[in-house]
Amino acid sequence: MKIMNHNFRRRLLVLAIMTSLPFSAAADDKYDLLQKQVELLQQQLQELQNSLQAYQDEMKVKEVQVEESVTQLKQDVAEAEEWKHSDTLVHLAGYADVGYTSSSGSDGSFSVGRFAPIFHYQYRDIVMLESELEIIVGENGETDVVLEYLTIDYFLNDYVALIAGKFLSPVGQFRQNIHPSWINKLASAPPGFGHDGAAPTSDVGLQARGGFHLGSVFTNYAAYISNGPELNSTADGDEFELEGIVAEGLSNDADGEKVIGGRLGFIPIPSLELGFSVAMGKATVTAVEVGHGEEEVYAEKFITDLQGLVGIRSPGAGDPGDGDPGFDLHDEQARNYDVLGMDFVWTLGGIQVRGEYVKSKVGAATSGLTASSGASWESWYTQASYLLPQTKFEPSVRYTDFNSPHSSQDQRQWAMGVNYLISNSVIAKLTYEFNEGQAGSTADINRWLVQLAYGF
Amino acid sequence: MKKNTRNTIRFLFTVNAILLGLSMSATVSATHFPEPGDPIAGAKLWATTCSRCHNARDPADLRDDQWISTAFHMRVRAGLTGQQTRDVLTFMQNSNVPISVEPLVFKGNTQPGSEASNLSGSEVYAQTCIACHGSNGKGSVPGAPNFTDPQGVLSQSDELLFSRVKNGFKSPGSAMAMPPKGGNNKLNDADIRAVIEYMKKSY
Ligand code: HEC
Ligand code: HEC
Repeated sequence: MKIMNHNFRRRLLVLAIMTSLPFSAAADDKYDLLQKQVELLQQQLQELQNSLQAYQDEMKVKEVQVEESVTQLKQDVAEAEEWKHSDTLVHLAGYADVGYTSSSGSDGSFSVGRFAPIFHYQYRDIVMLESELEIIVGENGETDVVLEYLTIDYFLNDYVALIAGKFLSPVGQFRQNIHPSWINKLASAPPGFGHDGAAPTSDVGLQARGGFHLGSVFTNYAAYISNGPELNSTADGDEFELEGIVAEGLSNDADGEKVIGGRLGFIPIPSLELGFSVAMGKATVTAVEVGHGEEEVYAEKFITDLQGLVGIRSPGAGDPGDGDPGFDLHDEQARNYDVLGMDFVWTLGGIQVRGEYVKSKVGAATSGLTASSGASWESWYTQASYLLPQTKFEPSVRYTDFNSPHSSQDQRQWAMGVNYLISNSVIAKLTYEFNEGQAGSTADINRWLVQLAYGF
Repeated sequence: MKKNTRNTIRFLFTVNAILLGLSMSATVSATHFPEPGDPIAGAKLWATTCSRCHNARDPADLRDDQWISTAFHMRVRAGLTGQQTRDVLTFMQNSNVPISVEPLVFKGNTQPGSEASNLSGSEVYAQTCIACHGSNGKGSVPGAPNFTDPQGVLSQSDELLFSRVKNGFKSPGSAMAMPPKGGNNKLNDADIRAVIEYMKKSY
């Protein structure tokens, strides 16, 4: 039993070995395969790890790059904001015009009217410098530069701005607000409101300006003290006559007498403004023009000393200081000088009506070389314009009546025209003036004016 | 790991977007002086005061900083108070954003609930639009359309009107533009929809 058992086991073992032989060969194959697969996997894993590492390295670089660009961006933003964080602003504005004028009885000519740049320098909301130059090309091709105004404005509080320097006269509205050519609806200034007319143009001194509510009426004001104007006289033999008021912002007060004045504007309803202006003080004759018979000879004035001795010489009368005495204007009497003005403007949509009256009165002088009676200059105009709805055409019409002490300068004028608004501040104007003055005088000649004005 | 990197990138781009948003909103806001005024009062002043002496100037004529100098120049010329100057200035600076460019808005800036209108259409109209369009809708400044015209601008689709009120609009050859949101940056989309509905109903 035991032996048989033993044999049986043996046989079984042999059988088992014999049968398992091919199987073990198969297991070897599988093992190899597995091993290969594992190797492949390991390799892939390695590759993956490598590329992940590379990716991470790359990302690190990218992060640094992004950080760098964020820093750069922050810097750029900060730099781009610089203009908003400086305490000083510099700004250029102004206007220019070119044109063509044709007077009846003479040939027309092109003209460059003027280039009037305005410089603004501003320190926060506290101080502002305003300056306008007027650059004009004259008939003979010469260029004239005039300092139209130069003021330093100090914003004292919400209701008062203090203005010092040379400013446009606050009397009335034409000079301070309407004269720039992109604003004026006609191609010319109304007679009396230009230079040497009834309305003062500018002055040198101190001014306070601002606005406040007076109940429901908004009120604006301008009050000033200034050197005031000087006077011109004409001499015809021993006779002297007041010729004109030089109110062009003189930086010398020949008579030492200041002028005070101002304007009060009331806005009872938003579409209407009414203004009242006055100025009063003294003015003195500082120059004499010599008249030769009918014809007025252009005379040049020169200053022979600093005390106000002002002389005049006719062309060819010799050079200053060569013995020509000129006129001794040491003892001229300061005359009363009074200005009165009223103005209004009313707007409704594209309709605008405005008007203005001004009178400048100079009193008599009883002593001094040029002693003569007083004189007054007076002018008024009314103007209406209408921007035709849904178009860019704006017809406008203005009537002016200017009275001066010299009948050759008196003028009544109808000016009418049509404007084309290329933009709200680029305006092409065609104006015709019907002028009525002393027969034969320039004040009597009708004119066509074409103007292209650009306010910038 | 990968998720972390992605988050980092997302974070950095968000920072980027915030910075961009900041720089965009900064170009819309003013200098550090003067302090901002009330644009609604400013629009009224602009419609009534700024055409008294000369043709009203389009807000788009000048850049924000240029408007500062001009506003102070006009304060002196027109006898405005300091407050009026700031009001007009803020209105001009709000209204000169380029037309039909959707301002880039960083979504994170939107405060919860700010999309709901707090105002009725008639309130929006009376506060912001009346200055130029008038209480009767016929327009009170040159260039403003007549809303009462049955074939007029209000016969256009709500969507078109919405985008023109929101982004501003200037028709070809027009001298004056409709400022974005009427110059009042506080108006949100719901306010604009409310006022359009109100205008269509009333005119
Ligand atoms: C009292 C009259 C008056 C009023 C009111 C007025 N302006 Fe002016 N404005 C002027 C004058 C005059 C000029 C030209 C300045 C010059 O030539 O000296 C001007 C010039 C401008 C300019 C050209 C740029 C510059 O700085 O000169 C702009 C823009 C302007 N005004 C905008 C306005 C705005 C906006 C308002 C409303 C707040 C306004 N104006 C109200 C008189 C006025
Ligand atoms: C500062 C003046 C001003 C204010 C304020 C203003 N608008 Fe206008 N709006 C205009 C002008 C000017 C136009 C004409 C623009 C054009 O045709 O170029 C206009 C045009 C429109 C139009 C017509 C657009 C089209 O398709 O032709 C709609 C609608 C309008 N405005 C709605 C509004 C609403 C609503 C408000 C108040 C949230 C508003 N406006 C405030 C000036 C203004």
